[in-house]
Amino acid sequence: MAANRTRYPSYDVLKEKEHWDDHTRTIVLQRLGPFPAHRFLTGHEADLVVSIAGHIVYDDRKDILAYIVHHLDETLSTPVGEAERPLGTPERKTLLRQGLAALDRFCEGEYGSPFLAVDQHEQLAALAGLQLGKPQYLDDRKALPSKEFFKKLAAEIVSAYYSHPVVWSEIGYGGPAYPRGYVRVEKGLTDPWEAKRDADEE
Amino acid sequence: MPTKNNLIRHNCDHYEGHQYDHLQARKYGLEADICIVGAGAAGGVLAYELSKAGFKVVVIEAGPFWDPATDFASDELAMRRLGWNDTRLVTGKNPLTMGSNNSGRGVGGGTVHFTGVFYRFHESDFRVKTVDGVAEDWPITYADLEPYYSKIEKDIAVSGPKHFPWGPFHGPYPYPEREPISANAELFRKGCENLGVRSVVAPLAILSAPFDGRPPCINRGFCNQGCLPNAKFSTLIQHIPKAVWHGAEVLSDCMVTRVEVDKSNKVTGVTFVHDGKEHLQKAGIVILAGYCIETPRLLLHSACSRFPDGLANTSGMVGKALMTHSAHDVYCKFHDEVRIYKGTPVLAATQDFYETAPDRDFVRGYTLNSHGSRPLSLAANLVSKAGIWGQKLYDIMRDYNFYAQITLVGEVLPDENNAVTLSDEKDEYGMPRALITFGYGENDNRLIAHGVQKAQEILEAVGGEPAFVIPDTGHLMGACRMGNDAATSVVDGFCRSHDIPNLYICSAAVFVTSGGCNPTETVMAIAARTADHIIDEAGGNVF
Repeated sequence: MAANRTRYPSYDVLKEKEHWDDHTRTIVLQRLGPFPAHRFLTGHEADLVVSIAGHIVYDDRKDILAYIVHHLDETLSTPVGEAERPLGTPERKTLLRQGLAALDRFCEGEYGSPFLAVDQHEQLAALAGLQLGKPQYLDDRKALPSKEFFKKLAAEIVSAYYSHPVVWSEIGYGGPAYPRGYVRVEKGLTDPWEAKRDADEE
Repeated sequence: MPTKNNLIRHNCDHYEGHQYDHLQARKYGLEADICIVGAGAAGGVLAYELSKAGFKVVVIEAGPFWDPATDFASDELAMRRLGWNDTRLVTGKNPLTMGSNNSGRGVGGGTVHFTGVFYRFHESDFRVKTVDGVAEDWPITYADLEPYYSKIEKDIAVSGPKHFPWGPFHGPYPYPEREPISANAELFRKGCENLGVRSVVAPLAILSAPFDGRPPCINRGFCNQGCLPNAKFSTLIQHIPKAVWHGAEVLSDCMVTRVEVDKSNKVTGVTFVHDGKEHLQKAGIVILAGYCIETPRLLLHSACSRFPDGLANTSGMVGKALMTHSAHDVYCKFHDEVRIYKGTPVLAATQDFYETAPDRDFVRGYTLNSHGSRPLSLAANLVSKAGIWGQKLYDIMRDYNFYAQITLVGEVLPDENNAVTLSDEKDEYGMPRALITFGYGENDNRLIAHGVQKAQEILEAVGGEPAFVIPDTGHLMGACRMGNDAATSVVDGFCRSHDIPNLYICSAAVFVTSGGCNPTETVMAIAARTADHIIDEAGGNVF
C-alpha cells in the first residue's frame, strides 16, 4: 500500500520544524518516539490495538501504529473526562478493556481463534460487525455496547494517526503555522514551503 | 496520579499586581459585591463592565487561566483541552456530542477556541411565536439589544463588510472586512454568485488591522485551537485583563459546586472547590454565566429545603428547552487543490435562507458558512459521525487538499423534552453528572435537508462534486430561558431570576430560541445589557 500513499512524494513537513514555535515543536516531535512503557494497556491489549488501528487507518507502519497505541494509553491514563458518554454505557476505560476482550471472544466463537490469530478478512469482518452494532459479548454474557466501543476506539485511533507528522506530509497538510502564518491563501496560490505535487501528477 | 486541574499548573488567584498559587491572599476575602460564575463570553463582559462601574467583582472559573504564548499550540490533538471535557451522560433520539464543539473550559471559555464568526440576530428571532406561530417570543426585542450589539462590535473592533445585506443591521462594521479570503471562501462566493445567492465576507471578531495592542490576523488557520498571535478576540485577552485592571479578582481552577441561599430566600454566595478543598465566596449578587449545561446542573444541585426542586425553578423550566444548532458539514471534491487548512476557517457566508419562506416545508432558517477544516477534526468526524474508516477513509484523506466545505448553522426549535437533568452518577466534586437528552424535531430535520442541499448546490455551481455530509451540531442555547411570565420562564428580560432577586443567569442559557446563526455576539450583547441593568439598579450607589 506504500507506493501511492501520497500525491506529494517530495514533501516533508518536518523540514519546516525550525519555523514552528517551541511549544508546538516539542509536542509534534514527541510523536516520533521513543514512547514510555504503557500505563494502562496490557501487552496483549496493546497488540490488539496495533492490529485494529492498522485496519482503521489502512496503514501497517509500526512506528506510526506505536504512536497511536501510546496516545490511546495516555488518554486512558489521564483523569480528563470523555466529554460525553451514552447513558448506560460503561466508563471509557472499562468499555475499551471489555471491548477488546469481547472482540477476542467473538473471534474465538466465530472463527475458532482470538483476533490476532484470525486472517485479515475475518478481522475486518469482526470490526465491521462492531461498527454495525452486531452483538459481541462480555464474559458474563452481557452484550457489549458494540457501536459505542467501536466509535470511541476508532475516533482515538484516527485522531492520533492524523496528528502524526509523517501522515501530514503525505496528505499535503501544512501543519503548524506559527509564527509564520500564510501569505498566499487565495485559490491556486501556495506559500513557497507548502506541499507541491510533482509536475506529472494528475 | 495528577488531577485534571494540575495537568496545567497555573496560579489560581489573580488581581491587579498580584498572582498567587494559593487562596490565602484573596483580594475580597469573603465579601464581594458581585460573584460571576464562569469567565467565558458573558462572564468576561460582565466582569469588565461591572468592575469598571466600581463594583467589587470576583469571577470564579473552573478551568485554568491560560497563557496563550505557552499554553496554546498549532496542534489539534494537544488543544482538545480547550473544550469542557468533563463527562456528561447523553441520551435521546440524537444524543449530543459534547466538548469543544459546544463548550469551553478555562478563562475565556468558548471564545478562546470559537471561529470568531460574529452575527447579530435578526428582528424575527425575538418574535418567533408572533411571526411563525411556533416556539415562544423573547421578552426583549432586537431594538433592546441594538445599542449593545453596536457597543460590543466597537469594543472589540469587529472586521466585516461595508454592506451586510440581511437583517436590520447593514454595516459598516468598525474595521474593514478581512482580505484576502481563502480558496475555500472564494469557491463559496463564486458558487453563490452563479446561483444568484448573495454572499459576504463574514463579519469576524478577528482583526483586519491593529487594534488595542493586538496585531491583525496572519491567516494561520488555528482559530479553534486558540489564537497564538492574539489577533482573534477572546475574553481571555480582551475583557478579563481589563476587568482585573479595573479591580476585579479572578479565581481560576476553582469549580463552583453550590449556590448558597439564606432564610430570606436570597443568595448569599457560592461554595467552590479548589484542589479538593471547599471554599466560600460571599457576594451581594451572584451571576451564573456558566453556559447551558453547567448552569442548570448547578441550580438543580443547589436544591435545599426552601427550594426543593432547585434554585430559580418554580417554573420547572430549569434545564428544559435546551437547543443546539444543526451544523452539518457538507463536502464537495474539486479537480484542483483547495487546501482547507489555510486561513481563518470562516471567511464567507450567506444568510439568504435565514428567514421563513412560504415555498419551503419548514419555518425559520439558517446561515451557511464557508468553513475550513483540519485533518484531525475531519478524519475523526468521518469515522465517528459518518462511519467511514479503513481504505475508504484513507482514500478521502489522501485527497484532503481537494475538498471544499460548507457548514450549516441551522435553527433548532425549542422542545421541552430536550433537557438537562441530574443523573445518579457522581463526578469528582461529588456533584451528579448532567444527563443531556436531545432529539431533533420534524421542522429541524426538514431545515437540515434543505440546508445540506443548498450547500451542495453552491459548491456544484463552481465545479464541485458532492462527496460526503457529516452530521454535526454546534453551540448550545437555552435551558434557563428568559420570559415575562414567571410560570413559564426562569429569568426576566434582564436575566434576573424570577424567584431570587439577587440571582442572575447570564449566558446563552437564557435564549428563548436558537436563532439561525453563530450566537456569541448575542450572548455578549445580552451580558452588556444585564451589566447596565445592574448598574442602573444600584442607582450610582455601588453598595
